[in-house]
Amino acid sequence: MSNEKQQVSRRQFLNYTLTGVGGFMAAGLLISPIRMAVDPVLKESSAGDLANVGLSVDDITSEPQRIDWSVDQVDGWYESEVNRSAWVYRNEDDEIVAFSPVCKHLGCVVSWEGSENHPNEYFCPCHDGRYYKDGTNVPGTPPLAPLDEYEQEVRDGMLFLGDARPREEA
Amino acid sequence: MKWRKNDIQQYVQSKEYIDTILLPLIPIQLSSDDDAEKHASQSEVMNILANEIEKELTGRIMLAPNYHYLKSADKQLESKRLNGWAEDMKKQPFSHIVYITFDSSWKKHEKDISDNLLWMPAVQVGEINSKEMHGIIREQVGQTVELIRSYWQSN
Repeated sequence: MSNEKQQVSRRQFLNYTLTGVGGFMAAGLLISPIRMAVDPVLKESSAGDLANVGLSVDDITSEPQRIDWSVDQVDGWYESEVNRSAWVYRNEDDEIVAFSPVCKHLGCVVSWEGSENHPNEYFCPCHDGRYYKDGTNVPGTPPLAPLDEYEQEVRDGMLFLGDARPREEA
Repeated sequence: MKWRKNDIQQYVQSKEYIDTILLPLIPIQLSSDDDAEKHASQSEVMNILANEIEKELTGRIMLAPNYHYLKSADKQLESKRLNGWAEDMKKQPFSHIVYITFDSSWKKHEKDISDNLLWMPAVQVGEINSKEMHGIIREQVGQTVELIRSYWQSN
């Protein structure tokens, strides 16, 4: 009367069912902590984000031009739109260079050829600080470091700029 | 520089470079609905304007806290109070104090004030965040910066 087919005993059946259901519940419990643990890896860092500044690479010449754009910035309590500016030009090696206009002395805004007496230099209106075209501070004027340079990237012919980084001491 | 802890700390260390106070004069009046709205809107624009000027010339200008007064107040008394503020500020070596305002009634009392008064006509074109408003403010900032620089050059 014995059946050839391997019967599943009551005990085995219960074992399988309980392991299955238990495993399922354990997985359900674990999934959220695991997702949370992995989350920082998946998150894109906002610090290194580059923003499209609305300037085509073809429009960049050897003459520095001022561009303005805005980025979202979370600063403590506030999330706000921050306006940023840069002086952009092509240097002798045909590389694009974007300088921050913030004077390294006390933070005023410098401009290219801002003074008639000092052509071909960046000029700070506050204390007559000056920088050469390559951003190096002119010795003998108040600033003690060269202008910061923006991180940059060219995508589809458009210029993208990130954060301004200090350069090596001149 | 602004009226903030960090900026003041920096000011104390580099006093010799920061010799100018920018002080916005802002009228308030809540008793009449129409005027209140106008004053609030002008105060908003003035704050933006003052902040932008400060941003351009951070290293030489201290933006003082706003001076608020009742629109209907006696300007002679207000000038006296203002001169008191200026006197205290000059105990630090601030050689230029520049008041900036949209309120034309100060113009008549310019002689009572011991320092430079910059009155500019208030313009309000639609929304404060609109493109044209940005353009107008940029333009006003540029011209004001030029004017302040001319004060610096005169001595």
